[in-house]
Amino acid sequence: MSEAPLVELRNLEKEFAGTKALKGVSLSFASGEVHGLLGENGAGKSTLIKILTGVYSPSAGEIRLEGVPVKISSPPEAHRLGLGAVYQDAELVSSFTVGQNILLGNEPGRVALNDRAIHDEAARILAKMGIDLDVRRPAGDLSAAEMQLVTLATLFHRRYKLIVLDEPTARLSAAESEVLFRIIEGFKTQGIAIVYISHRLREVQEICDRATILRGGLVSGTLNRGEVTEDRVTGLMVDRNRSELSTFNNGESVLPDVALEVTAISTARLAPLSFKVHAGEVLGVTGPVGGGMEELARALGGITRHSGSASVRGKTVALATPIQARSAGIALIPEDRRKQALFPSLSVAENICLPVLHSLQRLLTVSPGPMRKYADGVMERLAVRPPNSSTQVRFFSGGNQQKLVIGKWMSAGAAVYIVVEPTNGVDVGAIKEIYDIILGLARGGAAVLLVSSSLRETLAMADRIMIIHDGVKVAEAPKKDWSYDELLAVTLSGISRRAA
Amino acid sequence: MSSGRKESAAMRFLRRWGTIVVIVLAGLGFALASPYFATVSNLNNVLFSMIVSALVSMGLTWVVMAGSFDLSIGLTVTTSSILVAFLMPVVGPWLAIVIALAAACVIGLVNGVLVTYGRLSGIVVTLGVMFVLDGINVFITGGYQVPIDYGETAFLYLGQGKLGTIGVPVIILLVIFALALIAATRTRIGHYIAAVGDNPMAAFYSGINVYRWVILAFVLSAFMSGIAGIIVTSISSSAQPVGGEGYLLEAFAAVFLGATVLGKGKPHVLGTLVGVFFLYMVDSGMNMVGFPFAARHIFQGLVLIVAVGANALLNREEVHLKFI
Repeated sequence: MSEAPLVELRNLEKEFAGTKALKGVSLSFASGEVHGLLGENGAGKSTLIKILTGVYSPSAGEIRLEGVPVKISSPPEAHRLGLGAVYQDAELVSSFTVGQNILLGNEPGRVALNDRAIHDEAARILAKMGIDLDVRRPAGDLSAAEMQLVTLATLFHRRYKLIVLDEPTARLSAAESEVLFRIIEGFKTQGIAIVYISHRLREVQEICDRATILRGGLVSGTLNRGEVTEDRVTGLMVDRNRSELSTFNNGESVLPDVALEVTAISTARLAPLSFKVHAGEVLGVTGPVGGGMEELARALGGITRHSGSASVRGKTVALATPIQARSAGIALIPEDRRKQALFPSLSVAENICLPVLHSLQRLLTVSPGPMRKYADGVMERLAVRPPNSSTQVRFFSGGNQQKLVIGKWMSAGAAVYIVVEPTNGVDVGAIKEIYDIILGLARGGAAVLLVSSSLRETLAMADRIMIIHDGVKVAEAPKKDWSYDELLAVTLSGISRRAA
Repeated sequence: MSSGRKESAAMRFLRRWGTIVVIVLAGLGFALASPYFATVSNLNNVLFSMIVSALVSMGLTWVVMAGSFDLSIGLTVTTSSILVAFLMPVVGPWLAIVIALAAACVIGLVNGVLVTYGRLSGIVVTLGVMFVLDGINVFITGGYQVPIDYGETAFLYLGQGKLGTIGVPVIILLVIFALALIAATRTRIGHYIAAVGDNPMAAFYSGINVYRWVILAFVLSAFMSGIAGIIVTSISSSAQPVGGEGYLLEAFAAVFLGATVLGKGKPHVLGTLVGVFFLYMVDSGMNMVGFPFAARHIFQGLVLIVAVGANALLNREEVHLKFI
């Protein structure tokens, strides 16, 4: 390579409120290269990508595009520079057809639009990509996987120089993944650089020319094709120096009675699986993002349609709606706190008291006094800061918001708590407190399902660990049987070396 | 995840043509009940009476397409009407029209900029602008109507003239409708406004300047209301300082009724025109058959709810959690 690389990152740093997410990353992407990006949760992958696509700006360091220093101040600016991304949540205009979506923003013709030309061009793009889809179908009728493929097709006309694909196979079947890989080959021949983020090692081995492993905000190594082996990747990913989490569940709260028993639960993206959780036990459910563990949480929370049966404390329960799940004694604490668990413009007291309002009310009215008293009690127990129950929830940090979500359900007395990615977007200082709160739930006699893609978190918190990979339960074993490296190997490859 | 939705041919037919079928049936009913209903001269009457409302409704269509609301359209009609009546003796009719239309566009621009760059909600902004305009109108007119001089024959021709049997304003309406239809279905304007209204995030990531199209929608809305104001002034030979609000509610009814036409589920220009036509046809028909005035509103309200409700039933979402 005689010329400057397409994109070069020099000593990129990013600091969030005193915590360094990136500590000086230097990395380059070449034209026509597929560059894998691997790393544990919190290693800095998503921060790096957000800087590259203009969502964050770096605290220090430099980005060079074709040898020229550039400032990527916003997503449209990134777009203008030719840096694009496809996120897991594909964005399409649902009332438009597939064809209109593919060419949105880049329709042929000047002022007038030619419907036929748009759909012909879109059909040509789809044919070239090897996707068999009717361009006149409304985008709103597509399946999630089809949407993702259409989103990829929209990249064709955008003339990107570099495309970030974040867990692109999370929603795709094996056959659809093959289509994706062909698309990536097509991008390569056009000289486009692909940054490929994945937790699935096989994919990285198959399609990446190089792979960079991030660890603790630093590049821990870049491997060439052929060097990407399970052992080497594991070695580079695991941070031996990182202090072990100070919270550790030693399993003393586990009681003999079964709190939740699930038999052959399955959804469209989850093969039938069964398991039991005892009272006072934490079952860690882990695996690649989008590999099915979230689907399990949604099914048990009554959100996703599913088949199979479940019983809580020995009683068979129906979980068709969130209301049924709630009254069956299952509390789901979702990952997206702001959207799915809190009312950002209501006060802390109003949020926390919601599940217990009926017990606080006197003569059909709820006066602010008892509400505040109750909320203050919860906040004190959970060490929420600032300890002011009349403040609106949106003014709290991510960590304190997470405590509030748990606090909201704590006294509701659920038999089973499903906690999804509890420390995502949580400031480092609050993580330990949240762990203690979750373990507190188990000590209180509840069963806890901890759904997390962080292995460190799973190892610290769980009594038993279950791995779901591509919608299939590949392993379940007590924590003492797992080493970190072994757990990482199974989540990456989806192959358990011992019987599940 | 409703891929490959199976539905019967009857359902498909109903979704696409349901509203039209209801309109045709209502028309047939009136025609049977009154011999004067299905005549060319009555059609002319209905078209003539709906001109102002149709222009305002078509304007509103852009804003609802873009995913917002415009409550200031009624008062924009009044404002443009007063401006043109006030300025005519000073600057002559043509310049007065240009200034009135420009003022309308400024109103739309203010709405659009506040909703986008100002980060305010469309309902709040246009409600505020509505009150402000009302205050200004009453202030400058003192609450009295502003008459147009009978010597302004060219200006009065716009609203009162005839080409053969068809009124000039009906022709103006049809021309503007044709232009709006082309802009909405054959150009980037309609395409991008619809994209922005449906999924602004997708539009944003497609490199579309979202704010620009939202602002344009508000400007188009105000511009069409401005034209309506000029025509209503010409028709009635005067500008009325009050009464513009009435167009607003009619326009919303027409836009939402229109969204069900052809089963689109989204507002569109043709649907809006059909919606306005339906409201005025019912008015005329019930008048001829002898229903009291109040009954007409009851009927129109019920039709609106049933049409939009039936459409929602046919386009069922998995979870419905939007109550605006």
